[in-house]
Amino acid sequence: MKGNGGLGLTHFRKRHTSAWWRVDTVPIFVWQAAVGLGFFLLWHVASIVAGVEWISSPALVAGKLAGWLASGEIYSHLFTTIAEIAAGMAIGVPLAVIAGLVLGQVPTLSRLLRPLILVLYSIPLIALVPLFIMLFGIDLQPKIVLVAVVVFFLIFFNTLSGSEKVDPDLISLMHIMGSLPREIFLKVVAPACAAWIMSGIQIALPYALVAAVTAEMLASRAGLGFVIKQAAAQVNMSSFYAAIVLVTALGVVLNQLAMKLDIWVLRWRHVSG
Amino acid sequence: MALSYTGKHEARPDIQMAQATGSLSAVTETRQVPRASKIAPDSRIRLLEASRRFTVRGQEFSAIEGFDLTVRQGEFVALVGPSGCGKSTVLNMIAGIVEPSSGTVLYDGVPLNGLNRNVGYMTQKDTLLPWRNVADNVGIALELKCRKVSAAERARRVAEIVERVGLKGFEKAFPGQLSGGMRKRVALARTLVYEPETLLMDEPFGALDAQLRLLMLDLLQKLTRAQGSTVIFVTHDLGEAITLADRVVVFSARPGRIKASRAVELERPRDVFKLRFSKYFAGLHEELWEQLKDEVSKGTDA
Repeated sequence: MKGNGGLGLTHFRKRHTSAWWRVDTVPIFVWQAAVGLGFFLLWHVASIVAGVEWISSPALVAGKLAGWLASGEIYSHLFTTIAEIAAGMAIGVPLAVIAGLVLGQVPTLSRLLRPLILVLYSIPLIALVPLFIMLFGIDLQPKIVLVAVVVFFLIFFNTLSGSEKVDPDLISLMHIMGSLPREIFLKVVAPACAAWIMSGIQIALPYALVAAVTAEMLASRAGLGFVIKQAAAQVNMSSFYAAIVLVTALGVVLNQLAMKLDIWVLRWRHVSG
Repeated sequence: MALSYTGKHEARPDIQMAQATGSLSAVTETRQVPRASKIAPDSRIRLLEASRRFTVRGQEFSAIEGFDLTVRQGEFVALVGPSGCGKSTVLNMIAGIVEPSSGTVLYDGVPLNGLNRNVGYMTQKDTLLPWRNVADNVGIALELKCRKVSAAERARRVAEIVERVGLKGFEKAFPGQLSGGMRKRVALARTLVYEPETLLMDEPFGALDAQLRLLMLDLLQKLTRAQGSTVIFVTHDLGEAITLADRVVVFSARPGRIKASRAVELERPRDVFKLRFSKYFAGLHEELWEQLKDEVSKGTDA
């Protein structure tokens, strides 16, 4: 988790003499910014050459975004998507963690239910959206249910692996000390699985975003997916790309939050040794 | 032992024969030993004709067979023997982790039923909880419902034992930040903080270097003698056994039986650093090594 900026460039230092333009004398973020600028420049040139009809242009998309943010019309859509992800996670994560921890500790139950869970996991969950819409309407609920189901499976399997792999020596040590099963569960099994749960959450978040946006595109009256679908229907490519930029930004923010949470929960791992 | 390649296969039945005869005589002898009802009041642990058989890939073998051992309250007994001779099985039976296939294990005169909650167990692996800092690792036994103490009392006892094992100043460190020797100190403090009557130690310092091990032996001697704990200490190191124990028990190769049992008549506290240079130590070491060396070569042969 450490040294995210490092791209393994250290070995260059040995071979190249320092010059102001070398990768090792200029901070990496300058180069990263340069790559980003290059992308927008390329897009800009392409929009001039090929026209803005399909690929819009950086200036048009930026203008669109600025307009949305200034008029405030986008916030309700943004918050709708965030609310769906937050509520879906709030339901899916605890259920997945509890189910994974318990099944990992009760091998018989795990063996009994595993085929069923694997079959359920193999259902293309997006295909269930029409059912959720019939059951829950076209507002927030069907999206929340879909997000919850999607993150449930991802986090459940991770937690289950962790729970099955808890060091049996730790458990028998606690038994000898006189632990009740409940105490072993809370003091050993759950914290031992924290790393597995955290990586499950990090894997699940992008899927949660995709689930919410896709469900919005299928049927809704609000949310970033709704904005994307509207823009596409009107062939308004500036709005289309502006919404895509917002979804991407939301994904980046969620990812960063998950990393921060991981570092905080697993702080015993991040201490310098 | 001469172990030429061809001789090996011929020698093995002989060894088994010798062991079989040994077991018969051992069993006849133990039949005359007083039964549970007549146990001396200070005997804390008794194994009576305890056997433990395992099945590995369809083949049954005995870890220990017809094993008798009595450990008095407050006694420090070292179990020495070749690897795989069933020393750890004996500890596991006393802890109640493993049930004897036949025979009885008595604790304070009562047959064990399930886990033995009067013991503290320490193994070569230090089994610290990596997400807890030193103080929280040490205090975990005092958080449990079965011996719940107030947070203030727990903090006091943890601070006391942390200081005694020489970890003052490291209370907030995580196990991942500690050296192997320090981790052992944490594990020792965690085992001693709730003052279990009996300590079961399975080569607890096996992974440490020689100097560090002596330091830990010194610490262990001081702490367990201060608490008056009964200690059963498994090791393959005869020197370590003589240094620490009131009595050294030498195991035969598998299936494990007692080959020799000698009292160590040395004053306490002992100087673990100089003891090994004394004449008494050398004599006892040689005598016990005579008993042990055949078993070691048998152990590697098997």
